Amino acid sequence: MNMEQKNVNRRSFIKKMAAAAAMTAAAAMFPGIIFASEQEENIPIGGSLDWKKGPCRFCGVGCGILVGVENGKAVAVKGDPNSAVNKGLLCVKGYHQAICIQSKDRLTHALVKKNGNYVKTPIDEALDIVAKKMKETIEKHGKDSVAMYTSGQSTIPEGYVASKLMKGAIGTNNLDCNARLCMASAVTGFLTSFGADEPMGCYEDIDYADYFITWGNNMAEMHPVLFSRMLEQKNNRGAKIIDFATRTTRSSMASDKSILFEPQTDLAVANAICYEIINNGWVNKLFIEKHCNFSKGKTNIGYGLEDKFNFKDEPQKIDFEAFKEFLRDYTPEKVSKYSKVSVKDIKYLAAIYGNPNKKVVSYWCMGMNQHTRGTWINNLVYNIHLLTGKISQPGNGPFSLTGQPSACGTAREVGTFTHKLPHGVVMNEDDRKLAAKIWKVPYENISAKPTYHTTEMFRAVDRGDIKFIWTQVTNPLVSLPKTSRYRPAMEKDSCFVVVSDVFPTPTTDVADVILPACWHIEKGGLFGNSERRTQHWDKMVEGPGDSMPDAWMTIEVARRMGYGKLFPYSKENHVDEIYNEYRQFHEGAKHGMAPLEVLKKESGVMWPYVKGKSTQWRFNAKYDPACDNGEDFHFYGKPDGKAVIWERPYEPAAESPDQEYPFWLNTGRVIEHWHTGSMTRRIPVLHKAMPHSYVELHPEDADKYGIVNGQKVRVTSRRGSCTLPASINERGLPTRGQVFVPFFDENMLINDVTLDAFCPISKEPDYKKCAVKIERV
Amino acid sequence: MKRIFLIGIFALLAITFIIIWSKSYYAEKEEALVERPYETENYLIPAEMGVFERAGFANAYATIDENYIGGRSLDTYYNNRAFHGAPPSIPHPVVNDLKMGDRSCLKCHQNGGFVAKYNAYTPVVPHPEKVNCRQCHVTQNTTGLFKEITASAFPKPSIGNVAFVGSPPIIPHQIQMHENCLACHAGPAAPNEIRVSHPERSNCRQCHVLNIKETVDIGEYIR
Repeated sequence: MNMEQKNVNRRSFIKKMAAAAAMTAAAAMFPGIIFASEQEENIPIGGSLDWKKGPCRFCGVGCGILVGVENGKAVAVKGDPNSAVNKGLLCVKGYHQAICIQSKDRLTHALVKKNGNYVKTPIDEALDIVAKKMKETIEKHGKDSVAMYTSGQSTIPEGYVASKLMKGAIGTNNLDCNARLCMASAVTGFLTSFGADEPMGCYEDIDYADYFITWGNNMAEMHPVLFSRMLEQKNNRGAKIIDFATRTTRSSMASDKSILFEPQTDLAVANAICYEIINNGWVNKLFIEKHCNFSKGKTNIGYGLEDKFNFKDEPQKIDFEAFKEFLRDYTPEKVSKYSKVSVKDIKYLAAIYGNPNKKVVSYWCMGMNQHTRGTWINNLVYNIHLLTGKISQPGNGPFSLTGQPSACGTAREVGTFTHKLPHGVVMNEDDRKLAAKIWKVPYENISAKPTYHTTEMFRAVDRGDIKFIWTQVTNPLVSLPKTSRYRPAMEKDSCFVVVSDVFPTPTTDVADVILPACWHIEKGGLFGNSERRTQHWDKMVEGPGDSMPDAWMTIEVARRMGYGKLFPYSKENHVDEIYNEYRQFHEGAKHGMAPLEVLKKESGVMWPYVKGKSTQWRFNAKYDPACDNGEDFHFYGKPDGKAVIWERPYEPAAESPDQEYPFWLNTGRVIEHWHTGSMTRRIPVLHKAMPHSYVELHPEDADKYGIVNGQKVRVTSRRGSCTLPASINERGLPTRGQVFVPFFDENMLINDVTLDAFCPISKEPDYKKCAVKIERV
Repeated sequence: MKRIFLIGIFALLAITFIIIWSKSYYAEKEEALVERPYETENYLIPAEMGVFERAGFANAYATIDENYIGGRSLDTYYNNRAFHGAPPSIPHPVVNDLKMGDRSCLKCHQNGGFVAKYNAYTPVVPHPEKVNCRQCHVTQNTTGLFKEITASAFPKPSIGNVAFVGSPPIIPHQIQMHENCLACHAGPAAPNEIRVSHPERSNCRQCHVLNIKETVDIGEYIR
């Protein structure tokens, strides 16, 4: 054992030396790897451009951008060479982002619906109407009859004032956001396994890992800049990419190995990997003895399909033997039968995780989060990393990628979910007291009971329980599941709908008041990305007409409702003032945020920011000053400092293909478009590259139905239908018996077809699995 | 004693016979069909896979100065084909008209290399899996014409198609049969006008997108 240990150390030492040498050599030989210099050269007009720093508007990777401003107009975008995230590189969306604000149908003035027509209204008057209506509704129907629905694309100040208004001033927990649709399972996964939200590692893991295993994640299109960093390591160091997915994609084409599995069986395969790890003696015994507990929760937990569905997990401690016994149902042979992954491939995956000499990072995003057992599958991947002790070290660890630019910074850290507060949860008395103190509101104001999560919020609108809703920075009538129910719900007269947006969308179509919002660079703000990096930007250009930053609209409405004393911010400086107030919530070594001066200077800083330093690997005593148990690792999110390995079984999807509806429907994104396309479709380069949505079919399925490329196909579920042109062998290739549709197209609303089943723990809907039939039109 | 020994041997033989026979009897009765373990299928997407095909050479390509002239210019590139996307003709004499593919053309054109005779680098074929080269690529054995034609030159895709100051150029040409960007845009034989400055970033279509996508008529949508 001793000898072996020594060997491992020596080997990894030699390898590190070799890697370091190779990297120095590479940097000297291939100056192109440092992307920035040549980008500067590519800027044709010189001198007059003023480059301003900020984060990219789009995905959760959080690339640093520099916006070239000339005569008060944004005329160029390039990657920020100082950003540790992207080192000067962007993707096609990032480079062209600032073009969207030149769209001719930009919302520049408030529109108020009068007798069925939208009337251009001065912004002050429109805000009066909103405040009056909100106040009236509260007086007539109680404070729980009004709701706000915000976004993982809201800035930190926007999320903060929304939370302060709803939870602190009005005293209702009717605040949720679209991050519920993308990150909620990641949050509950982190909380149940570690007791502390957000990844322990960081993007620098890419520079050290030997293997990247992506779980149901098409990074080449959805997190392209990170994928390029992986490809660079693949070419330079021979790192390997393993794509584990339900659909063949561009990422599969670039990977060393692509393994396909039957939808929902990722649960079983993850357990089979754990079985193999234990069976082969690859368990890091010392690590689990010192740092892990074992638990199990309820099973057969339902799918949330009925209104007012309620679920509470009851964790029970178990021991290692019981966990081993549980895994006996998940031998590779048994799992192979229904997962359609070969025994060989399951053993291959397990051997990668089990090899003590190889560093492994697991990446995932919506494949695991938008899952009716999303919390479970997050837990299961943590199990694999905990059993092998491959966690919280450079190049080793599970990494949950985020979809939206501030799903971490705003939705999760500021807490724009119904149960959350900027620090902790509403159910906790201490957390409520802290919030009341900083917000300067009476402690009793903050309600201790969470109300509606997103799906239930729109069900409540449909039932008539919510009489007033205000949405900001999001387009729910394209992005919600089962819009076939929620569009008519929002059209009902029983609910007054206020929509703040930059462009007209299917959601503004149902609004009673449309408020014109400033886009990204027309306001200042802060975002927080997947690797706990907070990024600040200043206003770069003026917004058109009456457009106003979302945070300022919320403040204006709060003041008109009589809460002026709680919102003493100035219009010019509100971003800085709000951030300084918010920072107080996170003081301490576990979540300390960087001061504003640092954020203004640097291209993003990671929290916990302790003594002038970002913490790159949390829970590892070598890197994280918050570890204080004297051991090498300290999972301080849990009271006893130990992470939890969960017993989570395989359970089937909410709806599986049957005779009448024989296909799985999977939905997702494409590289050219951001979410519902309201921004990217207004950028000519991107629209021309991807003008409309499509339905991807397996060539054999297409043959069987006599469908050729481009032919219109009607996709129908029990909830609705959608007609789209077929796409065969183009961007992606679903497995037999599965179809895939991107959801960006407001003209072909695939979410009319999807199912609003969700994970009972996280309440995040599953957009990846429901049953449909197809027919040629 | 001898008799007991003999009887013993026969008894042993009899027992062995019974065991072997019954084993084979039961083996015969066993179901012939054994359940086959599931084998994972692997699919390829032709339109997507090409992008990454020459990525293994990318680091080597990155050592070449982007302005290096390796024997071809964009003019000679277009002079050698009827229009963009048309198969180029063979501008040099061929050794043997009967040989094809990997026996002949691909020896040089699969991975390229310097040819002293022409003082140039060999262009790399973007589709080495198609070995019947001469199906599309023909030699030019005369400079004359049978009859004059009126058609003038076809428009060439333009260079530097940027939508925004400093933004990555779009792909101005169709990519069927040459999805493999690095084959023409990197390496010593690439025309220097279109040689990429950053071949090591193998996911080309992360930043460069097609803007002449063939679309189907989906009708006018008004929200």
